Amino acid sequence: MVLGDPRSGPGGRRREATDLYATVLEVIKRYHGAARVTRISYGAGMPVDRLRTLLERLVALGLAHVEEQDGRPLYDLTARGQEFLDTYWKMRAYVEVLGPIGRDVRRGAQP
Amino acid sequence: MTEQRVPRGAKVRLGAVEGDLRLETGVRVEVEERLRVAGEIRCDGRAEFVGPVECERLRVDDGDVMIRGDLQVHREISARDSALEITGGLQAGRVDVDRRLNVAGPAVAEEVEVGGALRGGASLTADRVAVGGRLSVAGKLTARSVEAGGAIDAGTVDLESLEVGGAAEVGGGAIRTSIEAGGRFRATGPLLFGTLEVGGVAELGAGSTGDRVEVGGKFSADGDLTFATLEVGGIGSVRGDATGGTVTIGGRFEVRGSLRLQGKAEIGGSISVGEAVDGDSLEVGGHLEARRAVFRGTAEIGGQVTTREGLKAARIQLGRRARAAGPLVGGEVRVDDRGHVEDVYGDSVELGDRVEARRVQGRRVRLGDRVSVDEVLYTESLESGDDVSVRTPARKVDRLEPFPL
Repeated sequence: MVLGDPRSGPGGRRREATDLYATVLEVIKRYHGAARVTRISYGAGMPVDRLRTLLERLVALGLAHVEEQDGRPLYDLTARGQEFLDTYWKMRAYVEVLGPIGRDVRRGAQP
Repeated sequence: MTEQRVPRGAKVRLGAVEGDLRLETGVRVEVEERLRVAGEIRCDGRAEFVGPVECERLRVDDGDVMIRGDLQVHREISARDSALEITGGLQAGRVDVDRRLNVAGPAVAEEVEVGGALRGGASLTADRVAVGGRLSVAGKLTARSVEAGGAIDAGTVDLESLEVGGAAEVGGGAIRTSIEAGGRFRATGPLLFGTLEVGGVAELGAGSTGDRVEVGGKFSADGDLTFATLEVGGIGSVRGDATGGTVTIGGRFEVRGSLRLQGKAEIGGSISVGEAVDGDSLEVGGHLEARRAVFRGTAEIGGQVTTREGLKAARIQLGRRARAAGPLVGGEVRVDDRGHVEDVYGDSVELGDRVEARRVQGRRVRLGDRVSVDEVLYTESLESGDDVSVRTPARKVDRLEPFPL
């Protein structure tokens, strides 16, 4: 997985819920209001059943918006979703700059 | 228009079809020289074509389609819940694939939209390319706009805009209007660009030129860099000469060559320049290090200045307990309390309480309480606080030797 891709956690760690949310929101963003579930599933590399649960949560939190069109749900990113992405990437930038905690720092932190 | 149907699992040999061609799932088509279908090819499930294919439209539903040869579609390719693999080149109008598109040869289309991943083994040329997941092009990528939710990697690029959710790596080229990357952007060769906005890390090849750079975490250029504005939240480094308008860095900024700015440099932490730095003004929270530093306006340093030839500015302000190694040359020089400096030259020199200095030369000199100086030369006025120590008695002279720098 490419470093910087939300589908890998910062520093190569196992991806957490925030990484999954960011992955899905970034894919939704590319469709400019017309993101279908299958398309998001292929883009985010996530099975549809698992994705549906995640999408429900994103909509409930106001990070994504859903609208029915011809009986099919289409997803869009909300302003709050964009705010989440901005914060997520900013935080990952801080993690990148600070780097992993070295042995000396850990030792220094102990009494 | 007539329709020729091929039943499920059949193996057929075809050369030309006057109307539409409809394939049930599991069909293998051996092509006689070139398969020319006047209308639409519709695949209801998986199919394989052995040889080059040409048609007006290609529609695939719920299946993987393999084309062992070139594919030319005059109008649209639509693949629902399907993947498409082409071992030759691709020419099409609009391409819309839900799952995956692999093209080994050169690909040319007006618009390409892929839900999952698009992999191009050679070049890709289109007006617009949008991929939900990953876009990978081994050769040149030419387009007006390119978007991907996950990641992009390409050889050289010739684009107007590039937008990626995660990471992008390109070989170099031109992205004339804007680059937006959530996580990481890397150009291994020289890049001509408009704006570059990256949340995490940006790395540019030597000889890159752009307008506005805004990076949340780390920024680096592998050689010379030209820009209008450079804003980095964390760390910035240029392994060559940097030439631009303004620089704002939250943490540390390193330039291996020289730094030439038309405007201001604001550095939260430290700035280190291997050669000379010049610009309009400078504000550094921590440390300034350079062979020489010259500013037309103000230079404010919170921590430490280290220069071999000196720091010159219309106004120099050193913070409390600041340190300076190398001469300070100003119109106006002010060193706050408890500072430690070497030689200071200025039209007006003011040293705060308990400042230690080696040599002070100025038209007007003002020394705070308990200042300690080796030598003071002045032409107009000297004001001293209490308990000032001057090793050689201060001397008023008619004129001073020319200042350095």
